[in-house]
Amino acid sequence: MVDVSQHKLVPEHTLVDEEAVDEVLQEYNVERTNLPKIKRKDPAVPDEAESGDVVRIVRDSRTTDQAVVYRLVIE
Amino acid sequence: MQTPKEIGGIRFGLMDPETYRDMSATKVITADTYDDDGYPIDMGLMDPRLGVIDPGLECRTCGQHSGSCNGHFGHIELAAPVIHVGFTKLIRRLLRSTCRQCGRLALTDDEQAEFRSRMQRAEELSEDWSDVMKAAVRQARKAKRCPHCNEPQHDIKHEKPTTYYEVQDVLSGEYSELIAEAMQPDEEEDREGMAPQELAEKTDIDLQRVNQILSGEFRPRKEDRKAIEKALSIDLTVEDMNKLMPSDIRDWFEDIPNDDMETLGIDSERARPEWMILTVLPVPPVTARPSITLDNGQRSEDDLTHKLVDIIRINQRFMENREAGAPQLIIEDLWELLQYHVTTFIDNEISGTPPARHRSGRPLKTLSQRLKGKEGRFRGSLSGKRVNFSARTVISPDPTLSLNEVGVPDRVASEMTQTMNVTERNIEEAQQYVRNGPESHPGANYVKRPDGRRLKVTEKNCEELAEKVELGWEVNRHLVDGDIVIFNRQPSLHRMSIMAHEVVVMPYKTFRLNTVVCPPYNADFDGDEMNMHALQNEEARAEARVLMRVQEQILSPRFGENIIGAIQDHISGTYLLTHENPHFTETQALDLLRATRVDELPEPDGEEDGKAYWTGHSIFSELLPDDLSLEFSSSTGDDVLIEDGQLLGGTIDEDAVGAFGGEIVDTITKVYSETRARIFVNEISSLAMRAIMHFGFSIGIDDESIPEEAGEQVDEAIENAYERIEELIDTYDAGELESLPGRTVDETLEMKIMQTLGKARDSAGEIADDHFGDDNPAVIMARSGARGSMLNLTQMAGCVGQQAVRGERINRGYEDRTLSHYKPNDLSAEAHGFVENSYRGGLTPREFFFHAMGGREGLVDTAVRTSKSGYLQRRLINALSELETQYDGTVRDTSGTIVQFEFGEDGTSPVKVSSSKDNDIDVDSIADRVMDAEFDDEATRQQFLGREEPPTNLSEHAEPRLSDARAPEVESDD
Ligand SMILES: [Mg+2]
Ligand SMILES: [Zn+2]
Ligand SMILES: [Zn+2]
Repeated sequence: MVDVSQHKLVPEHTLVDEEAVDEVLQEYNVERTNLPKIKRKDPAVPDEAESGDVVRIVRDSRTTDQAVVYRLVIE
Repeated sequence: MQTPKEIGGIRFGLMDPETYRDMSATKVITADTYDDDGYPIDMGLMDPRLGVIDPGLECRTCGQHSGSCNGHFGHIELAAPVIHVGFTKLIRRLLRSTCRQCGRLALTDDEQAEFRSRMQRAEELSEDWSDVMKAAVRQARKAKRCPHCNEPQHDIKHEKPTTYYEVQDVLSGEYSELIAEAMQPDEEEDREGMAPQELAEKTDIDLQRVNQILSGEFRPRKEDRKAIEKALSIDLTVEDMNKLMPSDIRDWFEDIPNDDMETLGIDSERARPEWMILTVLPVPPVTARPSITLDNGQRSEDDLTHKLVDIIRINQRFMENREAGAPQLIIEDLWELLQYHVTTFIDNEISGTPPARHRSGRPLKTLSQRLKGKEGRFRGSLSGKRVNFSARTVISPDPTLSLNEVGVPDRVASEMTQTMNVTERNIEEAQQYVRNGPESHPGANYVKRPDGRRLKVTEKNCEELAEKVELGWEVNRHLVDGDIVIFNRQPSLHRMSIMAHEVVVMPYKTFRLNTVVCPPYNADFDGDEMNMHALQNEEARAEARVLMRVQEQILSPRFGENIIGAIQDHISGTYLLTHENPHFTETQALDLLRATRVDELPEPDGEEDGKAYWTGHSIFSELLPDDLSLEFSSSTGDDVLIEDGQLLGGTIDEDAVGAFGGEIVDTITKVYSETRARIFVNEISSLAMRAIMHFGFSIGIDDESIPEEAGEQVDEAIENAYERIEELIDTYDAGELESLPGRTVDETLEMKIMQTLGKARDSAGEIADDHFGDDNPAVIMARSGARGSMLNLTQMAGCVGQQAVRGERINRGYEDRTLSHYKPNDLSAEAHGFVENSYRGGLTPREFFFHAMGGREGLVDTAVRTSKSGYLQRRLINALSELETQYDGTVRDTSGTIVQFEFGEDGTSPVKVSSSKDNDIDVDSIADRVMDAEFDDEATRQQFLGREEPPTNLSEHAEPRLSDARAPEVESDD
């Protein structure tokens, strides 16, 4: 199997621990379910992620160097 | 503004028949509408309790008159239940997923629990719950027997639109004949016979039993039947269809428990499934289906009323027949008819059902047709309305206007009004408007007194009324110069399709606009019409002026560069002015600049024959900001150098001042201001028009002709290509052509021929090009980027070239040839649409035909593209319309779900950011510019930068210490 996370076009996906999730939710003043979603079966999602977890995705950006996005893992 | 009613929330659900009866003002029992005296009949379709439409009559329910009474619903008691067409799919799903005996959902408790939690999750994640419902139905349908009462379940067949059957496979009545026939030997089908003994062995059934079955004395049970079917490979079953009447379905649905409905995502509080079968039909109020009185005094009823008449008539016949004890067949026919009328009352465009028609043959417009589609209630009446204070007329150009302005015909200006609140500062002005009356231009149409009375200003009363105008009144005055209005051209595909302009009132009947705003509107003057909207409150006017004015839209968010700039002759004009840098006398120079702010010429560039002269470059430089420095290459091909507001070299053409990214316009907009850019574009277009008029610029057929020897050279080039193609065809025919990798020999030949012909056209073009002078107007337009290309020119003068359909040479028409003029399988250039003549020389009839084929493809493509992209646009807008950038920078939809954590992932506006990678933002120079503008003296500037502490007298200890004072400057890392 190809490990897509090693591909240069796949941005970094990391699992966010609960404490940090709360901080993110507080910062944006949202419920967990109001985050963008990502399927658990998505090959870019870390293997240990379960549905209900939140992943942080860090993309390269021409204008801001890095763009950070949080997504809720769903079934 | 006043809100008639405030909406707290909207809930969708089914309505309980009891609620229909409760809200009904009256039961409707007669199909008649009016009696002979023209009065509405009691308990008829026009019963005065349903509301009134005739003025003077009083509503018998609320006592109000027509206009203030909104109308009231009535109801019809249906003689038999009928299915509501809007819910046929849901009815089918429920029939398939619930038990025919006990009504429970055919899922085990575990399955139910799972689907419930999936439903809950879908709701939490605001996903589509109907997917879960569909999955649950699919699962329940699999059950052969009800998990609760063990009743075997039947398949449900749905015959559109409203008929349902229970389907069961049962043993055919002719089973013995079928078996016997299959046991006979048949030579045609190459089948050997089978003896009863053999059959008994194969199927494991007693021989005696087999004989009984064969004689028809015994009906085989299911297992035996299947064994026989398998042994003889025949089908012994027939489908037994048992029609489910609406009353059966209603009884079935009444048994479905509330809890089971929840698993399917249906809230039984608001939607009991049996309510999908109508027993009571609500009758819409009279006000929703008003009758009209025709000129001849006859009444013409609304389509809905016609349909209701049908329903009541059939309903009555149904009841009469049932009471008279009519045979079941007749009752069923009437039931079906009632179903048809109720169905078409709700929706008259059901596939498979003939639409109910008017006497004239026109299909009736019933409930669903009132709502659906472009002209329906939602898209036609609610999202889109006809608007007041708007005008539409043909547009025409006026180069004397500023790009911010629009010329408004006086008759439009005196129809559209602006509200003036009369204060002590404008009372005289307001009185003068009223005094002028409604017909002479800066006048007024209405005044409004503080008590709310509106008075029309007429030619007769205007003098008198003007004297009465006092503080606190409102005057609706005509549009005058300087008012701000919104201007729009359809299709409104991007935000620059709607911009705010300042009014200039003008004679005649067209809207006038400066030609430089044609690109954003995509307008031309071949009959285009545009819309104007007069703004009606101060807030709107302020917003329009600050955000929507044309000069604020110079930069396009699509590509981050200017979309407004010089076009067409403006570009030819600046090219003529700067390309060869001609000399002008004082008179000429002043004439060129007469429409600009410049009224004093700079020092002359030199002297010629004792007269001072000015160059094109220095005249152009007069329009530039004094400190502008730029360097770029022009589309003409030379390098443009501007230093401190002086054009030192190069040609000013499309790349410098054009719309769609002209370098100078773009820089001025970004570096100076929108206002400076507006002035620049206005002045450039005026200067360019003066320049092109100074030199004179025209084009005629002789400008595309080339000398005879050039024509011969072109012919020779084409002749050479023909020869090479002949050689290619010969090699191909000899089977010696080598195919290119990945292509067949045929494709290779085709490609090589295309290549050769392409080259021939190009060399013809080059030959033609060589013979055009640099002063040829077509060449000037092509080089400067004003209009047309060198390709257009060579097609006019040299050779038109290969015509293509679907990217290939023309290959269609007759069998093995394109036209009957050619031999079959002729591969030559001329037989496949190569046009060797030029447009100027003229095409042969066959060339013309091929050319028309290629041209047609282009036309069809454009037509298809516009309709496709229009639909795509609508879908995109619908999908994105509820997304909004919040104050915290996130983009969210209406439910608060985050779509982007930062607008565009970087939080920047496309018009404020550099558009290309190699044209990066020069942060240092921007910072320097800001600092220069902000701080006059070096000391405060250094203090702001933190390199120098401000002097303080608070305490000696607060002063910078010696050691800090000499601290080396920290290098910033960018
Ligand atoms: Mg047009
Ligand atoms: Zn009423
Ligand atoms: Zn059951």
